[in-house]
Amino acid sequence: MIVGHQKPIEEIKKMVKPYNKLLILGCGTCVKTCFAGGEDETAALASALRMAFKMDGVAMEINEQTVERQCENEFIQEAAKKIGENDAVLSLACGAGVQAMAKRFPKAPIYPGLNTTFMGIQESHGVFTEECLGCGNCGLGIFGAICPITRCSKKLLNGPCGGSQNGICEVDPSIECGWQQIIDRLKALGQLDNLRTYIPPKNWKTSHSGGPRKLVREDHII
Amino acid sequence: MENTTKAKITLFHCINAFTEKKSLSTDRVDVKIIKMPCSGMVTEVFLLKAFEAGADAVSIFVCPEGACRYTEGNIRAGKRMAKTRSVLDEIGVGGKRLTMHQVKPAEGANAEQIIAGILEELKALGPNPAA
Repeated sequence: MIVGHQKPIEEIKKMVKPYNKLLILGCGTCVKTCFAGGEDETAALASALRMAFKMDGVAMEINEQTVERQCENEFIQEAAKKIGENDAVLSLACGAGVQAMAKRFPKAPIYPGLNTTFMGIQESHGVFTEECLGCGNCGLGIFGAICPITRCSKKLLNGPCGGSQNGICEVDPSIECGWQQIIDRLKALGQLDNLRTYIPPKNWKTSHSGGPRKLVREDHII
Repeated sequence: MENTTKAKITLFHCINAFTEKKSLSTDRVDVKIIKMPCSGMVTEVFLLKAFEAGADAVSIFVCPEGACRYTEGNIRAGKRMAKTRSVLDEIGVGGKRLTMHQVKPAEGANAEQIIAGILEELKALGPNPAA
């Protein structure tokens, strides 16, 4: 899922202050799961902003709605009526959702309420970790399904660096060494020989380094 | 707060921690009571909405540590209080207006003392600036 967290309220206030009627639009999938942009967070932010603007003497009507997903037109459509009734939209979706809204509603000012952080998983309740960089050429099959591009701070492809100590990365003691995890898992799977395969320097052309990416599925286009 | 103004307090409580036998409202304070099956049901939205509705202070009565029927409801309530306090500080309402107290069911009189303590705090904090 896409993981994000809410921007500071002061930053949000600066963006939306010029408007009289604001719609806070939540997104009920990824950012709901990471407690950043679902229905509850939308209601909480709306309440906090109403109080903050009231104290500033700014008269602003703040409305709320949450759609299932802001990255798909079918779901965005549900918000069309409310978007038309408001001067601007504060989207609590990830960056993709915010931009999908902007494409679908070209005349509506759309602002981001979250900072999109990474693609990841919920490691445990309330703990989210980055697991995929979206490099466009997945090598998880060789590395025991643990990504060295994402989980190794240095993105090393042919084994750990000398800075790994007791399974901890030298970059930050809160980071587990991705290569230690790869080796432990391959050992457990009896696939340690995978590491004899030399991995050549990665061609980053398939990643964002090659520019904005696009996937076209001709079999689904009429 | 000035003596002429009647303070407003919203009290969320776990039904296992506290049973309202008589009103906690007096000529100095209106206490709005919201009972819940467990204090762990308190969320940031409920607490913020209470302030938005005009409460000068909001308090959560939870079961004592280790006594939650659902094991960790009072711990969750504490975490949510801390998060909501930071939001209240961020927007300028003031996090000190939100408090949590451990209460035993038999301590009805204690509730009155807690309300009296909150009223004392409100003397310094003043009325809710967002009301």
